[in-house]
Amino acid sequence: MGIKVDPKKCVSCMACEMACGYHRDDGFALLSSCIMVTRGREKRDYSAVVLKEEENLVIARPEGLEVRKLGSGGEADQSKGKEDASAKPLLLREPCDLCSDREDGPLCLQFCPADAISLG
Amino acid sequence: MEYLSTNKIAIVDLTNSKVSDQELDKELVKEKIGGAGITTALYEEYQKEDPVILGTGLLTGTLVPASALSIITAKSPLTGKVCHAPITLYAGIELKYSGFDYVVIKGNSSKPVYLWIHDGIADLKEANEIWGKDVWESTDFIRELMGDPLIQILGIGKGGESGSDFGQVCINYWASGDRWGFGKLFGQKKLKLVALRGMSLLEIADPEEFVRECKELLSTIKKGSFAGKKGIGELSAALGEDIRKWLEPIVHRHLSCFNTSFPTNTFVFLDEEPKRLKETDKEEPGFLITDLYGLLGFKKLGLSASDTCALLRESAKYGMDAVAVAELSQKAGKKKPDEIKKTLSGLKGALESLGKGKFSPWCPSFNLSTDEWERRQAVAYLFGIHPIFALMSPELSEEKLIELANLGTGLAFTAETLDKVIADILK
Repeated sequence: MGIKVDPKKCVSCMACEMACGYHRDDGFALLSSCIMVTRGREKRDYSAVVLKEEENLVIARPEGLEVRKLGSGGEADQSKGKEDASAKPLLLREPCDLCSDREDGPLCLQFCPADAISLG
Repeated sequence: MEYLSTNKIAIVDLTNSKVSDQELDKELVKEKIGGAGITTALYEEYQKEDPVILGTGLLTGTLVPASALSIITAKSPLTGKVCHAPITLYAGIELKYSGFDYVVIKGNSSKPVYLWIHDGIADLKEANEIWGKDVWESTDFIRELMGDPLIQILGIGKGGESGSDFGQVCINYWASGDRWGFGKLFGQKKLKLVALRGMSLLEIADPEEFVRECKELLSTIKKGSFAGKKGIGELSAALGEDIRKWLEPIVHRHLSCFNTSFPTNTFVFLDEEPKRLKETDKEEPGFLITDLYGLLGFKKLGLSASDTCALLRESAKYGMDAVAVAELSQKAGKKKPDEIKKTLSGLKGALESLGKGKFSPWCPSFNLSTDEWERRQAVAYLFGIHPIFALMSPELSEEKLIELANLGTGLAFTAETLDKVIADILK
């Protein structure tokens, strides 16, 4: 069971990031989110949703899903381009815990206005 | 101010190249709420020094649906009135997360400068290297210089630098809702741009209840009349002008401003296959349409969607209000893209579409009366709600926003407070 993202539905609004940040910090902040919309390629209109799980880095790109094993070294590739430098901090953050302390489940899912996030 | 706030106001004196900051007085928030209420108060306090005020709404950058908005308040060179322009996309929240709720920019610099606001620090920097560059080049320059592609930029191009009445303060690469000639003001102040970035934390007075209410509100909004619809074509259709068939062939994707359910922005590909999913190799494949009336203005000249969007791109690069470019081109009988592009330099004339009130006419009226539209805009500009979405979503009622404001701040705003503040800013 984990978070699934449909990047074709995503409208890059960052609500998931803010919801995750709230779950981590009990305030509004983006510093600790384990889900992130990469926005560094603005002129090309290319973005992905990146999620840090316990063992994987999940990258939901418009053209398809990519899963990289954490600790293999390969996860660093996702941020090798300067446009994606903003995603690097994700590697240092706590992995997704599916908002385990919340009875109603993951907040990112509940706050996605485009229903791009699901559990599966 | 303890909650939903960075508790800081930056005071930037361009004349003396000095920057200071002060606390945001909770009493001021109690009296003026936020957003346009406080930017208006700050404008009045510093009006002798011709200030430009940047401000966030009380709920900006939170989980309140559509809390994407910050604003620019200044005296419009076009109307001579104190007016407000929206800062949307991600720039609206970046202002608050950069560490300041409000920024007062007063006086005039003797040399080109830019303002770099980050993590609670505001720095004035020399801008000789970017003065003269277009909006896109300037944005690229700053992001590369700082090594951070997520820096949000409020900047001008040659339009504002040259003192054009239609010079616009753009957001990153794109057009903004500045229909007041604030770009000219930036140019007069020799202020090339404001760069924003930060990682602040906003505390909440009653976190669990606030977030529960936000969730319920979103749930209601998702059942509303715009549910499942996307983009500027749908927006136009809802307003009675269906441009979807005309625009659709070049649409790549629809994008929302921060935490806004309806994506009011549409990215079109002009030099790339629009349906392409993989990242293109092309550096500048298209344009993000953020301004419906600029789009409709060029369409009215009989241009194709591609030519229209290419002109929107040229207008944004030059830092000019596309609505003015389209309207004055039509008046001058210029209908060919090349002819219109040449008008960007030295564009002059009187606009029929000039805003008459305090709030930018960038936001459509949705068939509301002027009074209804102004009140709804005032509410959006106080709380920091996306102005277009505020009109699309009656679920974001005044009562609900007051309730959220009270849960978030621990203060006790009432309908009477709101009425008084709206009356003040509309007078």
